Amino acid sequence: MKTLIASVLLAAILQTTIAQTNSGGFETAVAKLNNAKTAKDYEATAEDFLKITETESNNWLAWYYAAFCNAQTGWLYQRDGEKIEPFANTAEEQINKALSLIDTSSQKKELSEVYCIMAMVNQDKVFINPQTYGPKFGPAAFRYMYLAQSANPQNPRALYLVGWQKFATPKAWGGDKAKAKELLLQANHLLVQEVTTGTSPHWGKTEVEALLKQIR
Amino acid sequence: MKMILTAILIITVATTQSQTAITGKVSNEKNEPLQSANIRIKESGTGVRTDSAGNFKIMATGKGTTSLIVSCIGYETKNISLQIGDSAVQLLIVLKDEAKVLGDVVIMGAGTFTASDKAKGASLTPMDAVTVAGTGGDIANSMRALPGVQQVGESEGLFVRGGTSDEAKQFIDGVNFPNPNYAAVPGIMQPARINPFLFKGILFNTGGYSALYGDALSSALILETIDLPDKSEASLHIFPTSQGLGIQQLAKNKQSSFGATANYGNAGNFYNKVVKQSAGYFHGPEYGSGDFNFRVKAGKTGILKFYANYGYNNTGLSNPDIDSGNLISSFQNKGNNLYSNLSYKESFRNNWKIDAAISYNYNQQNIERGLRNGNNEKVFVNQFPFNEKNSSYAGKRNFLNGKLVFSKRFIKSQALRFGAEYINQSVFDNISNPNAGKYNSYTENEIVLYAETDIRLNKKLAARVGLRSEHSSLLQKINIAPRVSITYKLSNENQLNVAYGIFYQKPSSEYLLQNEHLGFSRAAHYIINFQRKVSNRFLRAEIFYKSYKGLVTTDSVIGSNGDGYAKGFEFFFRDKRSIKDLDYWVSYSYLDTKRKFLNYPYKLYPPYATPHTLSLVAKRFFPDLNFMANAAYWFTTGRPYYNIQTESDGHSVIQYSGTTRNYQSLNVSFAYLFNISKKSKDFSGIGFGMNNVLGTKQIFGYNFSHDGNNKTPVTLPATRFYYIGFFMSLGTDRRDDFINQNL
Repeated sequence: MKTLIASVLLAAILQTTIAQTNSGGFETAVAKLNNAKTAKDYEATAEDFLKITETESNNWLAWYYAAFCNAQTGWLYQRDGEKIEPFANTAEEQINKALSLIDTSSQKKELSEVYCIMAMVNQDKVFINPQTYGPKFGPAAFRYMYLAQSANPQNPRALYLVGWQKFATPKAWGGDKAKAKELLLQANHLLVQEVTTGTSPHWGKTEVEALLKQIR
Repeated sequence: MKMILTAILIITVATTQSQTAITGKVSNEKNEPLQSANIRIKESGTGVRTDSAGNFKIMATGKGTTSLIVSCIGYETKNISLQIGDSAVQLLIVLKDEAKVLGDVVIMGAGTFTASDKAKGASLTPMDAVTVAGTGGDIANSMRALPGVQQVGESEGLFVRGGTSDEAKQFIDGVNFPNPNYAAVPGIMQPARINPFLFKGILFNTGGYSALYGDALSSALILETIDLPDKSEASLHIFPTSQGLGIQQLAKNKQSSFGATANYGNAGNFYNKVVKQSAGYFHGPEYGSGDFNFRVKAGKTGILKFYANYGYNNTGLSNPDIDSGNLISSFQNKGNNLYSNLSYKESFRNNWKIDAAISYNYNQQNIERGLRNGNNEKVFVNQFPFNEKNSSYAGKRNFLNGKLVFSKRFIKSQALRFGAEYINQSVFDNISNPNAGKYNSYTENEIVLYAETDIRLNKKLAARVGLRSEHSSLLQKINIAPRVSITYKLSNENQLNVAYGIFYQKPSSEYLLQNEHLGFSRAAHYIINFQRKVSNRFLRAEIFYKSYKGLVTTDSVIGSNGDGYAKGFEFFFRDKRSIKDLDYWVSYSYLDTKRKFLNYPYKLYPPYATPHTLSLVAKRFFPDLNFMANAAYWFTTGRPYYNIQTESDGHSVIQYSGTTRNYQSLNVSFAYLFNISKKSKDFSGIGFGMNNVLGTKQIFGYNFSHDGNNKTPVTLPATRFYYIGFFMSLGTDRRDDFINQNL
């Protein structure tokens, strides 16, 4: 019996050390992500996170970040049409993987983050060709934004996306610049309070600030 | 100890009983169920296939990690690893289209423009095509902004690469659509019968088209109708030259829909009184139309679609007679047309698919020509050419086209398609003038067989090889037409396409009524095409050569003795990227063509063609203003014109020839969108626009008097065309449709 307990303990310790080593790589990757600016930066960071998923295939956060980097790459290529598609598709696969790894009934905060990426993935698809992909993926993107917000009303990234949507949509289709500004200011307020170290999702400040500048 | 025993027992029981059911559904990315997909458990080797609804059930033995291998022809194989516990597992498996995954070569026929509702980046969509400013909701007309098409301002239809509009045919859901525009009126372009928003896919072939289509020497415009609409809706539009109402009802279970529309317009009532016309209208132009459709999903993958369109037209013109200074010659064309199309498509096991369609068209036209004096009294002069100026014509055309295509998909986007087609045509003409009555008719039965295969030679090279054979009972002839298209993928962005084909066409009824023993006209097409699509930009360059044989000639006797050639190059560039919210494209065509045709005494550069055609299309949306602006500009070099007269021995001679001045035209259209009330969820807008903004005096050619001393230019009925109107739809946002349909 004693040996059994001992081996279990040993295994647990080993597991922890492995996890720690990896989280070292993880933190480096997240730090790299914090400094990412161009589509190329995000593309490269996506590769880093994908590598991490090889050893930590059950870590939702690794899949989440890989998906975010790809979705963000697509987002930055929003004027490049067909170029977006492979990124959107990869991001979609990765975010679905992340979703399958969280408990959707208890991990509401995580769920909200996942929905944000799903919203971005669908919006990426709209960018491929708004005329043909918009009618299908536009409402899906909007739905995920709404779901992200209801899963965690305090998620600044959900607020950012809804704000973006209000900003980018023409008035006749429900766009509202004033409302967009209000949401973005709220998002900004929450982002300022957010811990920007560690590996939990904390991106968004650059995006919100850039958008606020455009609204003025 | 007891505990250990229990544990062992549990483990044993679990082992013997560990048959866990894995059930699930396999579908593609469009959420369509995949039949006969193979599901195999890697460890045990057991396998099952999905049923027609894509469902499967497989028993997994043993616990722990199990790998499922899911495969289906045409889709990427998927490996799924599962943790098998005690409870049953349910899976939703989505397989990806293999071609997309592999980045494999996809056959793109040289000579083809595709406008699809699935277009990515800067590829065309049906909406892009029909929103070209000033094209009046006529799909064929909007294709004039693409390379290869002549800008023939006095006539509807497609004049492609040196071919007449008769040499370009339209097809809806696979079958012929014989009269896409209202009946011809000399010198005035007639509108299209069908709402262009009926279509989700447009394949515009300027040459080298598939063996599944025929009887078109130069071009095939292949239209695919939409399936079920997204929502129920009602719509309304009021424009000076057209008013209409429509409804579209989608069943609650989303398995069927029906719809109907009615449109009426008579420019003679109001518009032509405000904007003076030089065409000399004494009636209309008046057009009325009604259409009806229903669509029913049949089974899991099948759909049955029906569409019928009735159209009425009545246009009368009177103008000074060209051969005399004080007489008036009048022309009036009244017509009725009924078109119906029933189609059915269904996918079966093992990647078989069937497409069946039948179209029927009844067309009736009455043309009255008369000569009148200054007091509007009929005048009869018993001397040529005046003796032919009082006449009446009554024509009836029945056209039936049935078609069946079987197709099977193989791995790596390879496919086989084959089938048969039947055409029955009965033509009846009655021409009478004071001197003689003439009655003529014929019936044609045509049987066609075709087969076509898509072969993938390697990751970069694919070919489509087809063969078509037509038998005409009237001509008592059989033809065999081979068609080949080869695509070579240079990189992810660049593709090279080559096409070759033989194309046959029967002479038009006008000539067959006079001589049933004509032969098929024949054209051979050779095309090389390069395409580059990247980052919302699309570049296309194409060179072609065509040779003609057996063209109809009317010089002395009606025969099939004409021949000729056409060659040229074309360029197309579309850019949606460089300027935000601005989409523009440029197209340029160079054409060199000569043919011995109709009454041409020898090979001539035909009067409907010109060497250089340049067009520029730009569209911009101003999201903050809810305002859309479209513009289209054309520049073409002048067209040749001829005064061809018949000598006493029946031979024709050119008495006079020349070239018209260069042509340019700028059309603009604008739309402002708004909602009248938030409650009713209406989408409304005001559309306005103008054709020929620059007011250029456009001359398309000349009409000559019999003695050749008098020539009158063929020009626009009015220098500019204006419109302003209101449109509204309840249900889905269809404002774009109205804007474009009405201008």
